[in-house]
Amino acid sequence: MPWGLVRVCQCLWLVAGLSWAEAATLTPNEAALYEAAKKEGEVTWYVGQFATDVAQQFGKNFTERYPGVKVNVYRATGQVVFQRLSQDMKAGVRQCDLFSSTDIGHSVYLKAQGQYLRYKPENAAGLIPAFQNIDPDGYYHTTQVNTVTILYNTDKVKPEEAPRKWTDLLDPKWKNKISLGHPGFSGTAGTWVLMMRELYGAGYMEKLAKNNPQAGRSLNDTITMLNAAERVVAAGPTATALRSIAKGNPMAIVYPEDGAVLQISVSAIVKDAPHPNAAKLFFEYLLSREHSVALAETYYELLRPDVDPAPGAKPMREFKIVQPTIEAIVKGIPEIKELWRDTIGN
Amino acid sequence: MSKLVLNGLVRKFGEVTAVDDINLELAEGEFVSLLGPSGCGKTTTLRMIAGFINPTQGSIEMDGRVLSSPGGVVPPERRQMSMIFQSYAIWPNMTVAENVGFGLKLRKLSGDEVRRRTGEILEIVQMGHLAARYPAELSGGQQQRVALARAIVVKPAVLLLDEPLSNLDANLREEMRFEIRRLHDEFRITTVYVTHDQAEAMVTSDRIAVMNQGRIEQVDDPFTLYTKPRTRFVAGFIGRTNFLLAKRDGDAVRFEGFAIPAHLFEDGLAGTGGNLQFSVRPQSLHLHRAAPAAGRGRHAIEGRVVERAFLGEFWDYLVTPKDSRLRLRISAPPLAVYKVDEPVWVEFEPSQMAVID
Amino acid sequence: MRMTPPDSAGTTTIVPRVETRPDGATTWMRSFEPAMLLWLLLIAILAFLVLSPMLRLVFASFEDRVTGAFTLANYAEAYGRPRYVQALFNSLALGASVAVIATLFAVPIAWAISRTDMPAKGFIRMVVLGAFIMPPYLGAVAWMLLAGPNSGWLNRIWIGLTGAETGLFNIYSFTGLAFVIAVYSYPYIFVFTNAALDLVSSEMEDAANILGAGTWRTTLNITLPLVFPAILGGIIVVFLEAISLFGTPALLALPARFNVVTTQLWQFFEFPVKVETAAAYSMPLLFITIGLFGLQKLILARKGFVALTGKGGERRLIRLGPWRWVMFAYCMFIGALSVFGPVIVLAQAAFARAWGRGFSWANLTLRNFEYLLFEHDSARQSIVNSFTYAGATAFIAIGLALCIAYIVNRRLVPWGGVLAFMCMAPFVIPGIVLAIGFYAAYAPPPLALSGTATIMILAFATRFLPIAYANSAAGIRSINPEMEEAVRILGGGRLLAIRRVVAPLLKKSLVGGWILVFIPATRELSAAIFLAGPHNRVMSVLLYDLSEEGNFEVLSAFGGLLLVATLIVVAIGFRAIGRDFMLRGN
Repeated sequence: MPWGLVRVCQCLWLVAGLSWAEAATLTPNEAALYEAAKKEGEVTWYVGQFATDVAQQFGKNFTERYPGVKVNVYRATGQVVFQRLSQDMKAGVRQCDLFSSTDIGHSVYLKAQGQYLRYKPENAAGLIPAFQNIDPDGYYHTTQVNTVTILYNTDKVKPEEAPRKWTDLLDPKWKNKISLGHPGFSGTAGTWVLMMRELYGAGYMEKLAKNNPQAGRSLNDTITMLNAAERVVAAGPTATALRSIAKGNPMAIVYPEDGAVLQISVSAIVKDAPHPNAAKLFFEYLLSREHSVALAETYYELLRPDVDPAPGAKPMREFKIVQPTIEAIVKGIPEIKELWRDTIGN
Repeated sequence: MSKLVLNGLVRKFGEVTAVDDINLELAEGEFVSLLGPSGCGKTTTLRMIAGFINPTQGSIEMDGRVLSSPGGVVPPERRQMSMIFQSYAIWPNMTVAENVGFGLKLRKLSGDEVRRRTGEILEIVQMGHLAARYPAELSGGQQQRVALARAIVVKPAVLLLDEPLSNLDANLREEMRFEIRRLHDEFRITTVYVTHDQAEAMVTSDRIAVMNQGRIEQVDDPFTLYTKPRTRFVAGFIGRTNFLLAKRDGDAVRFEGFAIPAHLFEDGLAGTGGNLQFSVRPQSLHLHRAAPAAGRGRHAIEGRVVERAFLGEFWDYLVTPKDSRLRLRISAPPLAVYKVDEPVWVEFEPSQMAVID
Repeated sequence: MRMTPPDSAGTTTIVPRVETRPDGATTWMRSFEPAMLLWLLLIAILAFLVLSPMLRLVFASFEDRVTGAFTLANYAEAYGRPRYVQALFNSLALGASVAVIATLFAVPIAWAISRTDMPAKGFIRMVVLGAFIMPPYLGAVAWMLLAGPNSGWLNRIWIGLTGAETGLFNIYSFTGLAFVIAVYSYPYIFVFTNAALDLVSSEMEDAANILGAGTWRTTLNITLPLVFPAILGGIIVVFLEAISLFGTPALLALPARFNVVTTQLWQFFEFPVKVETAAAYSMPLLFITIGLFGLQKLILARKGFVALTGKGGERRLIRLGPWRWVMFAYCMFIGALSVFGPVIVLAQAAFARAWGRGFSWANLTLRNFEYLLFEHDSARQSIVNSFTYAGATAFIAIGLALCIAYIVNRRLVPWGGVLAFMCMAPFVIPGIVLAIGFYAAYAPPPLALSGTATIMILAFATRFLPIAYANSAAGIRSINPEMEEAVRILGGGRLLAIRRVVAPLLKKSLVGGWILVFIPATRELSAAIFLAGPHNRVMSVLLYDLSEEGNFEVLSAFGGLLLVATLIVVAIGFRAIGRDFMLRGN
């Protein structure tokens, strides 16, 4: 089916679905949550999983779907939202309702500390099985899946010259030309560094440091660096790259032969959240089919099998994926931050 | 040959003419004061001599060389002059010795020579014991002496002083007047001295140029200036005086209510006629209880005391001549006591009455 | 900005007080002065704002994170890694470099404006003011666009002209960082130097000229040494500004992959939050500051440095001849570095779809502003926050400062000097250290002010209290106490005297002080970054957060909004209290 038609159908379906949903199709649980959430009126979302504009759009989508419940989006990099939450907790301040970072280690820790509210969303059952039951106890659930791939600026690099695998980035010809995210800020960048260490040992970062990479804070920063031609190749987020390409920027993606780094990011409701019902409703929404359609439009990996991927997005089954285990992440990310600061600097 | 010559000097600031056609010549070693009220253009003239201000018209020459003219000026640093400022402008970041030695160092003298001459001049101004002090630790009079030493030590071709004593208290001012004169007698530096204080000018100067509204009214030695003022302004600015209007009528000079024979005046007032104006110093009028003997070139008239004030060193009387509305101010010694309303005789000394423009 | 040390000796008239020795409760009651109550209240407020956060900071640095027991472990941790110590040295080197560069920028401009016949002085002053009100982090963003190693405008022009392989400038470097900080901090040295030069009598220079010293020699031997104390004061302020700045290093040093003290302090706030280590790590900043002011005192204690006072004599401007144009070009060059260049690239990016595509109609859009003003969740709120917080800050700081200045100046209570000292103390506390002190003291229970507007406003008010106090004290000092005594002898009470005489007379200087606090409070980042919560982010914090993703178009648009907002306030200040008010040093 041609893309235009798919889109039209999707829209029709959405429009129809919305009015229909408002009229009748709230599940009993959903309806109850909505009623309670309306009394709370708002939900505060600490989020590191999506770019700012995307996260805010999601918040607005939610309010459209459930009028009377506003989403306060606090977007920062994964490590910074965690830093913010831990500062809140240390100070005994409750502000955050739903917490969505990009480092699953945060959730493992917070759950162990008893800082999470156990909530199993109804919609979690509709996720792709691989993304279900990340936490066997059901405190946190997958809300975003992303891959890190090799990106390059097509004005400056010919396709045949582009790196094919991660180790190609160590080639001196990329000296002063690589852009990265900072594991001290970005959880996804941390996962990528962790994976590189797992695949190629600590020496990989030392060698990469010799190529004098530029490091922004957010992994999304690599996209702006490439678009501005400040740097020409990057280890960057696939979804943001696809969105940038769709806008007409001169960028291409290489799915590395040694594997795109997959990261599963989870969310959870904070214990003693000031708006627990709104948080539950929003959690449900993030796992809903409707939201997955919005995810597809913003090129994030699909969470549910019942939604079509965006055009140009390569389905995950078509390229090689590598992924660290949760245990490796919990143990590894703090080490990685130190490794980075000792090798790459700051 | 004249050392310093000011030729038709004019300086305008916008529409205002601050200095208006000044002509003045100074002989080598001469000490000339520019005396006048504030705003008379004396400081502007001095700063033109120094080279800080350029003339609008006219020229300044030193030793026959043109220093300033509208066509071009020699900058202050190349004029071989030195100057003492109203604020002394002693550099607070340098010691007394460094201040004084500054000009010498600029003249590329050896360190020994700088030290020797600095030491010498500081002894002369009695500041030798304070050579290592900073200016902030000195009194006003001491700072003044440092300024003098700094200006003199370089043996300038011309020394300029801009109201140097105006910031000192009265006693110190009197002391420093004589100090400046003493140093001039010792070094014979050609000097231009700006002041608004007539006593200062009279103590220090060989000649005084009295300035008013940008012009020089009269240049003369202090005695001549006092006794023979040529203009009403000069007569009034230097000392106190009585201004009297008169009409020449044959051999009589008629004042209001009385007359004095013209032959009693110097040269018999030759070359004058019609209306005259006289400056009569209060000291040149004498009071008597009875008519004094005629002769000795004097002339007495009757009058009556209308006001009096005792000022310690002298009496100050106001006397109205008979049949006149004039009020003559007369100085009398402390023991010459007259009561108000007492009839008196006023004795004129026509030789001391100056005809003014 | 006006920064005047308190002049407790500057009071001219002492209001006589009747001293009575109370011998019983009733007489005690009668002789008890309400002023004492006020004094106690003010002491309490100052203790809360100044003393307590600083003491808390010192105590925290010796406390175990969990048990609160005495320990030196925090110091061991803070200085236990070469990386941390390196950051400390980086900061010192940075401060020194910035001081040198800023001096080279500021002193020639100040000299040219104050002493010479350089053309267009008024314009150059406006340019310096422009550099002054440009928030430093916004300048850093602009310089990323100008001198990014490959994509920066300057480098693209260079590569285009020479065909070179790489660009000429790399803003992501130590030099780049020092340069950008200097470009926005040189106005401090300018203000100090210019004010001092205006006080140097022309006769000081004339005296050297007439003795045979030319312009160059006079300037070096006489003029500059005379204003050296002022230059030194400016240099110290710039040095401290450079080492306590957070935004610019976060934007430039991070990609350049080196750390300074402030970015390292930020890292201690990562998980797990190590306030205690941060406290230990911020001690050097405090000691360096106190040490520098001590050093300044020591240097200036040498005889020969005297405070320049009063206007001396007639002004004579140095005639530079053709060199006036060289000076003018130099000033314009500094202007291009600090204002013209950055504003042009920021404006281009703010109105561009993609800044890298350059100047073209097709690239022009209002989308970035639309996004910020109508779609972004917190951009509008942050503008409102910035202005309300800054307004509240200014009211608190000025109100407090005014009370204290009044009772200190009129000697209403004994030990007024203590109050004055505490008001001025925050001047020597780097903003970031103050913020950590506030965090340590008031973020946790019982007050639990973390992330609230209250903690930000209180911290801002403390940070800018010295500015407020210097202004209020100067204002009060200018009012002869006899004006009030005249009211009181006619039967009016002190309060009536204050309301009807003092307040109207002070109106102008109060407005001035208010604005002088308001402006820096709207752009403050170093303290705000540690204290702002997600719901009460101010513009500066949001700008920093926006910079994470490197979206320069939105970033520039937001910076533009911040700049326009500041300009409006400055314009109001111009109207209310005269064009020069921000560049006046007193």
